[in-house]
Amino acid sequence: MWRSMIRFFLAALAFMLASAAPSFAQPLTAERQVQATLHSARAAVAPGERFTIVLRQSIREHWHTYWINPGDSGEPTELTWRAPAGWSVGPIQWPTPQAIPFAMLVNYGYSNEVLFPLEVTAPANARVGEAVTLTADAYWLVCSDICIPEEAVVTLDVPVAAQGRDDPQWASRIADAVAALPSNAQTIEARVSAGDPARLSVALADAGAIRNARFFPFNRDAMRNAEPQAPRFGAGGASFSLLPGVANNLGQAPLAGVVAYEAQENGAWVRRGVEIEAQPGDPIAESDGAAVSISSDYALAELEGSSVSAPVAEALSPVALIAALGLAFLGGLILNIMPCVLPVLSVKALSFAGGAQSGDSRKHGFLYFAGVMATFLALAALLIVLRGAGEAVGWGFQLQAPWVTSALALLFFVIGLNLLSVFEFGGALQNAGSGLTARGGDAGAFFTGALAVIAATPCTAPFMAGAIGAALTQSAGVTLLIFAALGLGFALPLTLLHFLPGLQRLIPKPGAWMERAKNVLAFPMFAAAVWLVWVLAEQTGSAGVMALLSVAAALAFALFVARWGRVWLAIGVVVLAITGAAMWRPLVGAETQSVLVSEPWSPARVEELRAEGRGVLVNFTAAWCVTCKVNEAAALARPRVAQALAQANVAYLVGDWTNRDETIAAALAEHGRAGVPLYLYYPADGGAAQVLPQMLSEELVLDTIAGDAP
Amino acid sequence: MNELTKRGLLLGGGALAAFGAAGVVTTMLGGDAQAAVATGARAPSFSVQDSSGATRTLAEFRGRTVVLEWTNHGCPYVRKHYDARNMQTLQQEATGNGIVWLQIISSAPGEQGYLDAAGARARVQTDGAAPTATLLDPTGVVGRAYGAMTTPHMFVINGEGVLLYQGAIDDRPSARASSLEGANNYVRAALTDIAAGRAVRTAETTPYGCSVKYA
Repeated sequence: MWRSMIRFFLAALAFMLASAAPSFAQPLTAERQVQATLHSARAAVAPGERFTIVLRQSIREHWHTYWINPGDSGEPTELTWRAPAGWSVGPIQWPTPQAIPFAMLVNYGYSNEVLFPLEVTAPANARVGEAVTLTADAYWLVCSDICIPEEAVVTLDVPVAAQGRDDPQWASRIADAVAALPSNAQTIEARVSAGDPARLSVALADAGAIRNARFFPFNRDAMRNAEPQAPRFGAGGASFSLLPGVANNLGQAPLAGVVAYEAQENGAWVRRGVEIEAQPGDPIAESDGAAVSISSDYALAELEGSSVSAPVAEALSPVALIAALGLAFLGGLILNIMPCVLPVLSVKALSFAGGAQSGDSRKHGFLYFAGVMATFLALAALLIVLRGAGEAVGWGFQLQAPWVTSALALLFFVIGLNLLSVFEFGGALQNAGSGLTARGGDAGAFFTGALAVIAATPCTAPFMAGAIGAALTQSAGVTLLIFAALGLGFALPLTLLHFLPGLQRLIPKPGAWMERAKNVLAFPMFAAAVWLVWVLAEQTGSAGVMALLSVAAALAFALFVARWGRVWLAIGVVVLAITGAAMWRPLVGAETQSVLVSEPWSPARVEELRAEGRGVLVNFTAAWCVTCKVNEAAALARPRVAQALAQANVAYLVGDWTNRDETIAAALAEHGRAGVPLYLYYPADGGAAQVLPQMLSEELVLDTIAGDAP
Repeated sequence: MNELTKRGLLLGGGALAAFGAAGVVTTMLGGDAQAAVATGARAPSFSVQDSSGATRTLAEFRGRTVVLEWTNHGCPYVRKHYDARNMQTLQQEATGNGIVWLQIISSAPGEQGYLDAAGARARVQTDGAAPTATLLDPTGVVGRAYGAMTTPHMFVINGEGVLLYQGAIDDRPSARASSLEGANNYVRAALTDIAAGRAVRTAETTPYGCSVKYA
């Protein structure tokens, strides 16, 4: 309430000031948005000398001028020279542009300050001691949300001397401006390949170390500007997805332009550009491994973030497929000696040594193999489904859920305790104690395989990235094949142990050393648990670590005291239960901050919720609706709003009008709207729906929920 | 053993980090932001109020060639064509030949070029414009359906409702009045082709001008 009053007061004050002071406002509107001046790198030039000058545009904040290709709207700066006889001035050299998104457009240009270098040649017969004046009619379009064409006459006095000399103020600035121009010093190989989308690949060195990469074409008709380019990179360079513009000749004609990106220089991100001319042809190999990172402050972060993943890779050639499968197989083999996996497998190997193997050996070998393969293929299937569902997933994605991390950490901890002989389960219970891994039965063999795969995930070797990356961009069938190859490599060594008694003989005979080996093996388990706790710390912060360690302590207590009898076991279980009940929240990833949970909107659902006596907030939105997105980011998605909604038990429903929907259209029409956004708030008391303004603020939404909206 | 394990863990952690950087494949859904219509495809239908308060639809002009002109009276590119009477001349030529000419204002309230019904009527008077009607599209629904990006952005639709031309009004992407001289007007050319029963020679160009001031 107070806030809205203060806001109202401020607004009124601003209004009074604005209307009382038109004389202040006047010069502002008459003032130019761009100050343009010419500067020379040389304070004096010798006859016949070639030197650099710049056109400097100092652009008002929030306004911009345009690159040689302005993008979806706008117009580049033009200079028409009136140079004295004999003097020649070259064309504008265009600095690397920025992408400037506006509604559903993307323009290319400059903001704040830009220096356009130009090459000037003095005539050989210029008279020493004279000063000439270079004059140009400058014209540019400058835009913020509106556009203004501006014109100016710019001049530069150039003294001619027997010996030229640098301008102390401008020489170095102009040299920097020239150095920062898109580099065309060396020809960088680039290809443009037809397809949907077409693909531009550029043999950019160090493509892995860049971010916010984008291609800017010189030709306005070449491609659509406001589309995500989903930049990717590999050892061979970087690649970009492009959709054809009016010219509709991507992949058939050469494509020239500038590839702009940020690279790290002395710890800071520096914007760079390289000029390329891509020739039609096959894409450059290894240029589409992984996504080039996009920083959140990048102007097109939202556009690239919402990008449809480009089906950049065409079907793999047979050779490439075999190579990928071979790589995956090798990766699988190496997984066996990874620290996350070896302890699990070593326990299994010990069970051989302990004489667990028998006539069932082959069967167990097969079951272990089946366990590994089934888990890998299940992961692949899950990955395919998730990919289909449009989720961002990587190989380590199982570990992205805090509850999985926590459970694995606890499992490794318990296995470690067991290996240390902190607790023993008698007879058949032995199996449960050391997890399914040490189990001798059929199911044990199967689950050893399954657990080993889950445990292997954090340790996937970097070079497998390529194989999996390739798999994920390929069809479901190829993905399954690659995962199968991974599984095969992974399962092979231990399966062979089961099948070839000759190899089994290499395993030492059982003895007292086994207990020691078993105890020692506890520590890799603890180490793995420590590592998982670190992962959890990254995921949930100290709250999660605290919770996990508390549960672990309680678990150890319960396991330890169980040896003293049933009463103690019961006490242990109670302690564990209490600890778990108090601590589970951060472990299952329940955020301490409430997150806005939405349901799809339907008239029936609204009625249902109102019948339950709940308040309902409805957001009619669409992916292409900029206002909607602004409102969602600035108001609806704020933690305080989510918290207030949760506290007031108000349901949040979203009607998505990205694609036309008659029911939503009818609801919009009912409230006098032809389009989105539309925000409705149905109070819990059953009163009439309030229509919220089209521009939301966090306060307004909070006040509405609190029931004291203005 | 512990040393080995530590090393292994480092390796494992490093591997995961490297993997995160190199192997994470982001695949996300996203709507096509630009609901552009392909030339030769059916033009999207619409139903909006014009400046006289009447509801206008594309269907009511079935059988007649329709020109859509996205406009914003504050945009320097629009001004270039109106101040030199270039646009009005073309409107008169077209409507004189029985062609329907619809101006469309997709500027949102508070944005440059937004006009209410009375404002739009006054603007037509001031400019001496000769459209069949001025459609008010403050929510930008029609503009988005057509993928109108700039003012001016021109669309020509034949009597069967098929989009035959979309793009710039001419081949001079400049706000300077001097650029009109010798310009090749794509809309006039398209209307001539349609009248002569020919295929439209230049059926799609890149539009130029100010961005449409959508909500």
